[in-house]
Amino acid sequence: MGKGRPFLEIFTYALDEDYRLPILEIFAFLFALGTFAFVDFAVGYHRTGETIAYSLVNTLCGFPLMFIFVVLILKNVAYGLGSDLDRGVMQTLFSYPLKRRYILTARLLSGLGIAVLLFLGIQIFGLFLLAPDIMTTYPGTVFLTYAAHLCSPALLLAGFVVLLTLRLKRGGVALVIGFMLFLAGLIISGWVPSIAYNTGSDVPLKIWAVINPNSALQAYYYNMGTSLFASESWVPSFSEVLLYLGAGYLIVTAIFVAGYIYFDRRLEI
Amino acid sequence: MRWIALLGRTGTVILAIGLALLIAWLIPSGAGSQFMWSQPIEPEQYMLRESGVYSPQNGLQISVNATDNVRVYLLGVTLVELDNWKTLLREAYPDSERPDSEMFFIEFYTVPLIFFHEAYPEQPLPDVLPLPDVYPKPLSMVWNITLLDSGLQTHPEIILWEPPPGSAFSHELFPEDVLNIMAVVANPSSDTVEVDVWIEEVVALAPKDRIIFPAILLISMGIGLTIVWLVSRKVRKSTF
Repeated sequence: MGKGRPFLEIFTYALDEDYRLPILEIFAFLFALGTFAFVDFAVGYHRTGETIAYSLVNTLCGFPLMFIFVVLILKNVAYGLGSDLDRGVMQTLFSYPLKRRYILTARLLSGLGIAVLLFLGIQIFGLFLLAPDIMTTYPGTVFLTYAAHLCSPALLLAGFVVLLTLRLKRGGVALVIGFMLFLAGLIISGWVPSIAYNTGSDVPLKIWAVINPNSALQAYYYNMGTSLFASESWVPSFSEVLLYLGAGYLIVTAIFVAGYIYFDRRLEI
Repeated sequence: MRWIALLGRTGTVILAIGLALLIAWLIPSGAGSQFMWSQPIEPEQYMLRESGVYSPQNGLQISVNATDNVRVYLLGVTLVELDNWKTLLREAYPDSERPDSEMFFIEFYTVPLIFFHEAYPEQPLPDVLPLPDVYPKPLSMVWNITLLDSGLQTHPEIILWEPPPGSAFSHELFPEDVLNIMAVVANPSSDTVEVDVWIEEVVALAPKDRIIFPAILLISMGIGLTIVWLVSRKVRKSTF
């Protein structure tokens, strides 16, 4: 028996656990209706070109829809993975002729991969229905904006919660910490511009842009600092924005690699 | 069996998305600001009114009634293109004796002026401004229907709606981009025509004509896939 069949078995099991009827359907419905309800074209009225495309995606990745998405992925990684560890299902999964890292990959592919596909697929489909001209003219901007929002908070939080769940061997606490980190991110994103203003330095904005690359993207597209109050506006160049995005994904990758190493070598059940 | 289950769950997800689109379609659209004007249009002349910035969620309903056959257009220009045209006109007419009038004309009649500039690139701007001493000849030059035709031939991409000539029109339009939309009424006949134009802003979650077909398609596909899944589950249960 090759590796493919046991991998698919675990993936199918994870899909069944993560998306019991009608969880997937409820989230698909919320993402679809939310795309039409929360997209805000008015933010693009006084802006031009690709800034309109950025603003559109930015409004869709704002608090209500991103929060629903974060709820879905944190539920999957914390509750799903946590209950597998807690109920001893992981021991059964370890009996499959498969390396540990493939078991975690199958779990994350279901918990994160499917959720990301659902979120992006529905929103991009909705935007194509609403504004096909913008979507076909500026696909690069749309891709970049989604990449920045996925990096942080979505994947960054998911990585942290995976690590915590593996370390604590239960999902409840990890889930609560995940939500607290999400709220902390919202609060900090409001503080950073004030700190930059009070210190007269753009360093806090740059540090925050590494953790949250969308702030660099926003500063680039809106052609001003992340805050109207910053004494010196920070306007990164496009290549700098790409660097911040790359740095953000590097952090996310490092967290997931740490999770894989822990799962592969140090997790004792 | 697993493939049928996978298809079934895909069907229920597609059905959920279709239902969300259907709800977006069912939510009634609201009316925003509205304005109307009546104006006589001289033979072989046209008139243009810039009605504002519209978006895929913020469209317009236009009704036109005329005493004779007229041609009606809805033109849409992106804000970037409009800014470029304004810059081009300011550069083309830098030395004006009436800077205020020039600015006013460029700001509010960018499209007719760009049509004029493309047709008569050497003609200085003061000659086309509606100055009292030269009125009405220069004005009629700008609003000549041949300039409209040549301008639309050069920029066919800005035409959003172009019905056949008639005396009564009604249409709802939601642009596919954030656009500055203008209503144009042209009188091709040799008599003066009285025209009444009424425009109302329409606010909706989504353009109804653009989402109803995908909604029906998704719901049909979803129901089809779900039924196959449910039937196979029932058969399986009755077998064991």
